[in-house]
Parts: sequence; C-alpha cells; structure tokens
Amino acid sequence: MAPASEAFKGRSGARTFAVWDPLVRLVHWCLALAILLNGAILDGDSPLHEIVGYMAFALVATRVVWGLIGTGPARFAAFPPNPAAALRHLRLMVCGKGPVHLSHNPLGALMAYNIWATVLVLVATGYLMGTLRFFGSKWLEEAHEMAFNWLLVSVALHICGVAFDSWRTRVALVPAMITGRKTVPGDRSVQ
Amino acid sequence: MTSLNFPKNANERRAFTLAAIILLQALCAFFFVGDVFVDMTEGGHLDDIHMALEALAALALICGVIYLMLELRQLLRRFSSMATGLRAARGEMTQLIDSFFDSWDLTPSERDVALLVLKGFDNEDIARLRGTAAGTVRAQTAKIYSKANVEGRSHLFSIFMEELFSDHLGEGGKMAKAGGNV
Ligand code: HEM
Ligand code: HEM
Repeated sequence: MAPASEAFKGRSGARTFAVWDPLVRLVHWCLALAILLNGAILDGDSPLHEIVGYMAFALVATRVVWGLIGTGPARFAAFPPNPAAALRHLRLMVCGKGPVHLSHNPLGALMAYNIWATVLVLVATGYLMGTLRFFGSKWLEEAHEMAFNWLLVSVALHICGVAFDSWRTRVALVPAMITGRKTVPGDRSVQ
Repeated sequence: MTSLNFPKNANERRAFTLAAIILLQALCAFFFVGDVFVDMTEGGHLDDIHMALEALAALALICGVIYLMLELRQLLRRFSSMATGLRAARGEMTQLIDSFFDSWDLTPSERDVALLVLKGFDNEDIARLRGTAAGTVRAQTAKIYSKANVEGRSHLFSIFMEELFSDHLGEGGKMAKAGGNV
C-alpha cells in the first residue's frame, strides 16, 4: 500500500509518514464527541439525543464513502476486515515482532468496523423506537442499551489497544490521529 | 527551514478547511435526505413541487459532497508529490554541493566554512559558530574562493544558482561532473 507521502529520514533514522488525512481525523473526533454526548450527557428522551445520534450516523456514512474513494491509508482496501490476518497479527504481537502498519493493523481494523457497525445498530434501534409501529417496544429499548454497552466495551478495548500498540511499536498513535503523521523508529519495517 | 515549513502549514490549513466543509455539507445532506424520507413515508409525493425541490436539494448536496471529496483527494495528492519533489531537489542540491567541493579539493574544515558561506553567514558569524578567530575564517574563505576560481561570495553563489536554473538538475549526479571544471 502506498503511503500518502513518501518517507523521509530524520536525524535518528526515524521516518515520518502522512497517514491520516484531515477528514479521517475530523470524523474520528466528532464521532467520539457524539458518543460521549449521547452516552454520558444527553438523556435518551431529549430531542438533542436524536439529533446527535443522527449526526453520528452521518459521520459514519461520510467515513464509509471516504473509505471507498478517499486517500490511501483511509481506504477500506488498506485495512480489509481479515480475521485470519488479525490472528496472525496477535501472534506477532505476543512475540514482539512484526512491521508497523501505516493504516490500521489487522486487529485495529476489525475494531474500527465493529465500532462503526455498532453505531449503525444504535441509530437503527433508536430510530425504530420512535416509529409508530414499534412505539413503546421494550425489546428495542433493550437492544439500544445492549448495543450501547457493547460500544462501551469496544471503545475501552480500542483505547487500551491504541495505548498498548503505541508502547509496543514506539509509534505515537494518538498524536498521529491529531496531526495526521506517524513517526516510525528507524529499526522498524513498515507495511 | 522555516520558510520551507510555511507553505506546508498553509497547505495543511487548506486541506483541513476543505475537510471541515465536506463534513458540514455531509451533515446537511443527511438531514435533507432524512427529511425527504420522512415526508415520503408520511404520504408526500415527488410531484408536489415543494417535495421535488427538497429532493433535488438533497441530491445536489450529495453530489457536492462527493465532488468535494474527490477534490480533497486531489489536493492531498498534489501536496504529497510537491513534498516529494522538494525533498528530491534538496537531496540533489546536497549532492551537487558535495561534488563541487570534491572537485575543488576542499579540506574538511574548508567544506564546513564553504557550507556556512552558502547558508548566508558572514565571516564573524562563522568564526563564532566554529569557535575560531575571524582571521582564520577570512583566510579559509580566501582559500576556498581561490580553489573554486571565483572572485568572492556572490560569484560562489552564482555557480550554484546557475546549476539550479539550467534544466539538467533532475538528472542525478551528471550536472555535478559537468560543473566540476568551472
Ligand atoms: C467514543 C470514543 C471513540 C470512538 C467511537 C473511536 C472510534 C475509532 C474508529 C472508528 C477508528 C478508526 C478510524 C478510521 O479509520 O477512520 C479509530 C481510530 C483511532 N482512535 Fe479512536 N475512538 C474513540 C476514542 C478514542 C480516543 C479517546 C483516543 C485516544 C486516546 C482514540 C485514538 C485513536 C487512534 C490513535 C486511532 C488510530 C489507530 C491506528 O493508528 O490504527 N480514539 N477510533
Ligand atoms: C451514537 C448514537 C447513540 C448513542 C451512543 C445512544 C445512547 C443511548 C443511551 C446510553 C441510552 C440510555 C440512557 C438514557 O436513557 O439516557 C439511550 C436511550 C435512548 N435513545 Fe439513544 N443513542 C444513540 C442514538 C440514538 C438515536 C439516533 C435515537 C433516535 C432517533 C435514539 C433514541 C433513544 C431513545 C428514544 C432513548 C430512550 C429509551 C429509553 O427510554 O430507554 N438514540 N441512547
């Protein structure tokens, strides 16, 4: 996969790659904010909850379109959902080896798809709850809450995964999601 | 260095602004589409002029979003090839300077001084930077000019500027050998 920008060597042999374009970063942090708002601050019955929930849907939809036509590392083709590769990656991680991935690593890729899908389930159940047909339906309410609990677990795992991988590969992943650039130590190969 | 960083930051600002507009427009598009969808489920029809206009607006917004996304991708691609080109040019400039210095048989300390001259430092600055006497630097620069067969600082610059403006920069080390007999 071609990085968005070629590498150049810093003084210590570390290489810097432009990976996350501004649209990926904006969508990421807006989605995190929307989930924080709806999960922790806005009550389920407030009209703002609905609006923020639909905004989360629009964010995911935008990201999906960008995953089809966007820049290199943002494309789904750069991080295909591949459970076998994720298992291989897990094994490499345990041995402390493996290349640094410029896009998501195979495990992180699965988590990204999982989070997007969960948000879609939340919005779908939220929407249906408000329709005449399903109004007052208990199981939809429960499905909405269960999806939210699953999202909480996922986000917790996501943040732990980011922290662990930053420590393991010595690539500062969180700054990369802010500035867009990953700096890879000289002794690591890149994929 | 700072002057080279500036356009990069301006470019980043441009890309960021475009991305923010894309996102805002995508949110609007979604709400328009949702509105049309709700109206339809509530018995609205596209032959109603109001509905038709709304549907058209929704379609236009979606087309706009996709078009701007393609623009953003184009913009980012251009920035990255500009950055690559700049780095290549920088690398070639270093190569060029090295090969001129080789052909003039500069000693290691003369190379340092010559490089600082090219970077625009005057003799006092160079003396301070290298921790030597100003007289030493003056002697070194005189030696450099005589080895390079130039009359002074601006003539030395002109050798490199000439290489930059002639079109064989870009053909690797060739121009350096050609320039060696200046
Ligand atoms: C509700 C909160 C969050 C959600 C729903 C979320 C979701 C996601 C998703 C879907 C991706 C994939 C991005 C893409 O390809 O567009 C991602 C990537 C990422 N997120 Fe989050 N995130 C959340 C919070 C955070 C937080 C708090 C941090 C920082 C500590 C963080 C750091 C990152 C990083 C560094 C990546 C890129 C990982 C990589 O390099 O492969 N996220 N996140
Ligand atoms: C990112 C998307 C969403 C998240 C994270 C989310 C989260 C939650 C949570 C945590 C609750 C239960 C807590 C509470 O009642 O305050 C809840 C309830 C609710 N949500 Fe959402 N939600 C999302 C999207 C939506 C959408 C799009 C709609 C509707 C269009 C919606 C409609 C509702 C309703 C009606 C309730 C109240 C259900 C009840 O009384 O138990 N939600 N949501």
